[in-house]
Amino acid sequence: MVKRIHIIAGVVIVGGLTMGGCATGGLPAKDAPKISQSSGGTLSGEIKVWSWDVAAKALQRMAPEFEKTHPGVKVQVVDIGYDNAYDKITVGLKSGSGLPDVITLEDDRISGYVENFPNGLVDLSGVASKYKADFDQAKWAAATSGKGLFALPWDSAPVGLFYRRDYFKQAGVDPDSIVTWDDAIKAGEKIKQVTGKRLFVADLTTPDMFTTLLQQLGQGYFKDGKVAVNSPAAVRALTLLKTLKDKDLLQNEKGWDGRVTATKQGKTATQPTAAWWSGTLTGEMPELSGKFGVVPLPAFDANGVRTSANGGSALAVTSQTKNQEAAWAFVQWLLASKDNQVAMMRNEALFPAYLPALTDPLFDEAQPYFGGQRVNRLFADEVRNIPPIELTGDDSQAREILKKAVSGSLLDGDDPKAALDEAATRIASATKRPLAQ
Amino acid sequence: MIPWFFAGPAAALFLIFFAYPLAASFVQSLQTTDGGTVEWAGAGQYARLLADPSFLQSLVNVALILIVQVPVMIGLALVLAYVLNQSWLRFRATLRAAYFLPAVTTLVAYAVVFRVLLKTEGGAVNQVLGVQVDWLNDPFWARVALIASITWRWAGYNAVILLAGLQAVGREQYEAAAIDGAGSLTTFRRVILPQLRPVVLFCSITSTIGTLQLFDEPMVLTGGGPGDATLTPILYLYQVGFRQFDFGYAAAIAWVVVALIGGLSYLQFRYFGRERS
Repeated sequence: MVKRIHIIAGVVIVGGLTMGGCATGGLPAKDAPKISQSSGGTLSGEIKVWSWDVAAKALQRMAPEFEKTHPGVKVQVVDIGYDNAYDKITVGLKSGSGLPDVITLEDDRISGYVENFPNGLVDLSGVASKYKADFDQAKWAAATSGKGLFALPWDSAPVGLFYRRDYFKQAGVDPDSIVTWDDAIKAGEKIKQVTGKRLFVADLTTPDMFTTLLQQLGQGYFKDGKVAVNSPAAVRALTLLKTLKDKDLLQNEKGWDGRVTATKQGKTATQPTAAWWSGTLTGEMPELSGKFGVVPLPAFDANGVRTSANGGSALAVTSQTKNQEAAWAFVQWLLASKDNQVAMMRNEALFPAYLPALTDPLFDEAQPYFGGQRVNRLFADEVRNIPPIELTGDDSQAREILKKAVSGSLLDGDDPKAALDEAATRIASATKRPLAQ
Repeated sequence: MIPWFFAGPAAALFLIFFAYPLAASFVQSLQTTDGGTVEWAGAGQYARLLADPSFLQSLVNVALILIVQVPVMIGLALVLAYVLNQSWLRFRATLRAAYFLPAVTTLVAYAVVFRVLLKTEGGAVNQVLGVQVDWLNDPFWARVALIASITWRWAGYNAVILLAGLQAVGREQYEAAAIDGAGSLTTFRRVILPQLRPVVLFCSITSTIGTLQLFDEPMVLTGGGPGDATLTPILYLYQVGFRQFDFGYAAAIAWVVVALIGGLSYLQFRYFGRERS
């Protein structure tokens, strides 16, 4: 009987959401509200901000500073937790109520929300366009959708190759000699032979690593609005993963906890991931201090791009806000500011997407955890090289379908080209988009 | 007027929280969203659903669970209930509580524990068995893992319901069977089981409904993967609605599940619910 209640609840939830749907039935969606200029007057009132994890900690620390410079405004930060964050945001956007003034969104979620809820977020282009040159271009592109800019970039996620100094030394491999993925495979084989450690951790049931590699090749799931998950670049990315798997160089671990635990236990020699990983390393495994180093990501071709992006977030103003100006003032004060971005880098390891911040001496400090290496400088230099990619409202749908192609190829040995061709056909029919080529 | 006065609040609540959402979700199931615009899809929505490989796979998955897991679990629950009903058994109350306990654990907590136990490398199950089974990443073993975890959770729950049915069987019937010279197996099969029929029916219908609504276990244990090997209709509904924002399509899935539950319950009543004449 306990379970019987579930279906009723399920129907009620889906049904309840209809109320919003019916109201707009058959009508073209309204345009997003715009904020075009600040009145310049004194701001007042209260704004609420949703965030999670270290991002929420950063906001809680910064909010009182903002209140000092804007005495009339109170900022309330709510840590809604990552696990339910997007469900909460989705329900808020769909039902048209319950959202705070400002929400945190990861880059790959922005266009999905903007395209599916066209009047849910405030178009910031009127007030924010002047900052365009100051931000990481890949992130600016991620926050831009159709006609407007729907979020202001916050932290960047340039990808590099974290490696274990001790394992490389033991195997006699020079990390700087790894220039291409072919080099990485050779090094991986040698390290595995000597130390028994695999090359890196990956969750083989998700397309996350595939997506990172695809972005390194300059492509997203769609090209000019057409389905491109079976493009030559995509096949190349998946083939690389399959080669690594076939040579038994991938440590398959489920989810975030699996990755952290495996790294803590020293199961792998490297980890190709984003700058924010250093925050996890120093926070979760201080006992491994001095054991890690970072080199740029191996390229596909000798002179290819040596970074990608993985994660990173932005702040958006919701159209449910009653205090648009104060909300924008807070976002602008926090993100379009060298001092504040540097402060968040120092305290919470949130890697600034605001480029002027990257000139701060902080980025040139030697980091004891990384054996004295200036890891932040390396990432700061890579930020400018992240290939911008096309993101669409159908990315999450494509991602769900790609799960099967990626795990089929890596776990069941399917041919990458065939698996991606099938995924492309399914994505095309699900999204009503044409196939590229 | 007086009857209306008393029935009014309940009727109003029913209309607001049950009838309206029900009707609205059906209307929504005939709509689809494209780029934030709601469009009428009509019956085409259901045509699309019935040609959707992921949805069809999710139906195959629950059908497999229904055919394999529900009979095994109810058989196991019957044995458990019979043993727990024996007067020679010591610590009966403690044992009953122990077998019932899984049913009240938090769904997510137990799924997380199973995930840790079933890890390929260093997982307790593989270490005890001395094997290297890829429990959560191999389509076959992922299904086995899912079925094992649901059985662990619900067998004791069903056993307690069956136990209540067993206790309604009078002592004199056991005595009569004994006088007629029936052994305990024959007594169970010919005397006890027929009387348990309605209880077994209740258990199998609730289990069928539960299986068709399976969500938490595949969500936490395997995420529906690898591929779509452990995808269930409700998990797919969640993905379509909350990950892909196609709420109309999600509502259509809900209605197909409702129809399936109705149909299967009817069949079970019809073929297994008859009193033996």
